[in-house]
Amino acid sequence: MLYYVVRRVGVAVGLVWFVATFVFLAIHLVPGDPAELLLSQGGVAPDPAAVADLREKLGLNQPLLQQYAAYLTALIRGDLGTSLLDDHPVASEIALRLPRTLELIGAAALLAVAVGLPAGTFAALRAGTASDRALSTLAGIALSIPVFVVGTVAILVFAQKLRWVPAGGYVQFGRDPLHHLLVLAMPACTIAVGLAAIIFRMTRSSVLEVLGRDHVRAARARGIAPAQIIMHHVVRNALIPVVTVLGLHLGSLLGGTVLVEYVFNWPGLSGYLVRAVELRDYPEVTGIVLVISILFVLLNLLVDLLYAVLDPRVRHA
Amino acid sequence: MLPTISRRAFVASAAALPFLRIAKARARTPGILTFGLSSYPPSIQPWANTGTAAGTVKLMIHRGLLSYDTKGALRPELAETWARDGSTAWLFKLRNAVFHNGEAVTSADVKWTLEQVAAEKSTAYFRSEMQGVDRIETPDERTVRVVMKQPTATLSQWLASYHLPIISRKSDATQPIGAGPFVLKAQERGVALEVDASPKYYRPGLPKLKGIRAIAYADENLRVAALQAGDVDLIEYVPWQSMEAISNDPKLRLDATDGPFMYLLFNGTKAPFNDARVRKAVAHAIKREDIVKAAFFSRGSPLTHLPIVDSSEFFNPELKEGWKYDLTLAKKLLAEAGYPDGFRCSFLSTAQYGMHKDSAEVVQQNLAAIGIKAELNLPDWATRVTLGNRGQYDLAMGGTAADNNDPDGLANLIDGSLSPSYVRSFGVRVPKIEDLLKAGRAEFDPAKRKTIYKEMESLAIAEAPVVSLAWRSQGYAMQSDVTGFKNLPGALTFNSGLTLEETAVG
Repeated sequence: MLYYVVRRVGVAVGLVWFVATFVFLAIHLVPGDPAELLLSQGGVAPDPAAVADLREKLGLNQPLLQQYAAYLTALIRGDLGTSLLDDHPVASEIALRLPRTLELIGAAALLAVAVGLPAGTFAALRAGTASDRALSTLAGIALSIPVFVVGTVAILVFAQKLRWVPAGGYVQFGRDPLHHLLVLAMPACTIAVGLAAIIFRMTRSSVLEVLGRDHVRAARARGIAPAQIIMHHVVRNALIPVVTVLGLHLGSLLGGTVLVEYVFNWPGLSGYLVRAVELRDYPEVTGIVLVISILFVLLNLLVDLLYAVLDPRVRHA
Repeated sequence: MLPTISRRAFVASAAALPFLRIAKARARTPGILTFGLSSYPPSIQPWANTGTAAGTVKLMIHRGLLSYDTKGALRPELAETWARDGSTAWLFKLRNAVFHNGEAVTSADVKWTLEQVAAEKSTAYFRSEMQGVDRIETPDERTVRVVMKQPTATLSQWLASYHLPIISRKSDATQPIGAGPFVLKAQERGVALEVDASPKYYRPGLPKLKGIRAIAYADENLRVAALQAGDVDLIEYVPWQSMEAISNDPKLRLDATDGPFMYLLFNGTKAPFNDARVRKAVAHAIKREDIVKAAFFSRGSPLTHLPIVDSSEFFNPELKEGWKYDLTLAKKLLAEAGYPDGFRCSFLSTAQYGMHKDSAEVVQQNLAAIGIKAELNLPDWATRVTLGNRGQYDLAMGGTAADNNDPDGLANLIDGSLSPSYVRSFGVRVPKIEDLLKAGRAEFDPAKRKTIYKEMESLAIAEAPVVSLAWRSQGYAMQSDVTGFKNLPGALTFNSGLTLEETAVG
């Protein structure tokens, strides 16, 4: 078991190093000069001497290998560097924004599970009926509408026409809790639409599959109440693949909420990453991608280790 | 026992939530203006040019020696009066003003500011201009005498720029202390900035507002939605497609001006665009109305001469059709240059900004009519800037605004003696234009300056170092009860933040 754990951890560290190097090279090799960009906002020509001085100040005139060495050394110390634009520490900005994105994803997941799970179970129990078909059609539509369409329509209807909620933005929870939840509602619902459809489909097919299993038939034969069969014997067993799929989707949402964050002006991690790439803010780009990948790697590591706990065969493989 | 809530009660209270909200969402804090910025300023370093959103914020918290009034004329700020003194010197008399820390604005602060801007390692926008300063004399606390190395007629325009605010010499590097109408109160990085009215501002009774909350809305459609929903009072960079809806809405007001413009750049270091006849052929081959329609929803106007606004005293009516659409002439010029059947070339623009991409597509179609097959290259903006600086293109799309309405501002675009930049054609040099720009800068007599710039414009039309395409409308939109805010004319549109001191809500 110890060997297994050490090996998995070793692989995880290697992966993080690989990602760190790859991101560093990718962003540095893409054309675009942060010093030039910072001094030429608004389409003006900056003074070349000023650009040269800024490059020197930012350490961008050093050989790439030297910059890479400095970057890795800092990284080992846990230092993600500071923004090229305003010297703001990257780590503290991520610490500020990551919770916002996690909150958004968490709220969306809660909503999606609250809708998708019961609806999926219901549809499976009524398989083949009109209500099942209606729900499945609805899920198909929900899956195929892009988030930016859902988001834009939601803003038009709920913010501009009905004026129930503000048209996006962000307010700290401590500043105004009610306002905070209100501005969270629309982006969370927007992400939840697609996610709920995925959970619905997964639940429906999984429940259908479990319904046909022998132990369910046996439970019925023993005369257990139908409600109890569904809760204890069917849904519980059907949940495993649903949870797996949900986990995967939540992972990809970590860096993938950019459109929703953009449409609703939610100052999370994805929007920050896109802006950092646009401005070629190297430390920000590498820092954000690294943190997202570490979260991914940790998630996978956790799953791998869990498998080992659950299934002794994995440990000796 | 835990308190219980019935399902029905829960649903009812949840359904009531939005209605509870209504009163609160629309409740304004009296005297506080909510401003929807086009982006969160990358930095609000006072002397660097970090974009227009940063410029607006700088105009809230800083003031320079001079600025502009709502008609676009120079007006006094920290300098109460200013005058020429001999052939190279300018004399400024400071008013009785104080910085946000309560200390008086003195001639020593002005001297220190201008020296910081010109210093080695400075990243200031006006660094090279301020290096033209020979010495700064401060005979007393309220008098500054700036002596230039050469006669410089444009110094007053430079000192009116929002990139040259006067900062207290006692500021530390990260906390510049200004003397503007508002004081920076809080920054939530990437989200919003808040400023409070400065009680020490030198104009009595101003600012009218108690404070401003500037929220960044990077998405233009959301910015408009936030205005329509009443979340914000005022927005900048109104997208062209929304201008009509806003002007038709009785609750809102649009204030737009033709200021920035689109233009074409050439690589003059190789054939075919090293030949002025080919550049001129391109100039005559473009139906500019189509660009205005396709890229700007008819919110702009065709531009067939150098970008000098009609209202400017330097506008030359007889040259205004200099590059008018004339397919026969375009074909004739191409044939003369040895390309009767046209040629292939690369055409650099960017997919990141719709106006750059849409304008480029119209130009591409127009050029096909005279046999020029332009292959579009549409990278992101950062790449487009680098490729432009390196001259890795044949033809390129540009979009910018001049610093001010003085024709010297055009030097940035057409002075080939300046260093290579993505805003200028690459390696296109017209020595006579360079000489005329120099002469105009050193000439103080208005009539003589007019003659100089007229000659320069007609030369530019003949040589086409760049080719103008269209003015684009630059708009601010606000709730109808916002008063005092005014879009400044022409190239000065990005200085409109100056009028925030006169602005009031409700």
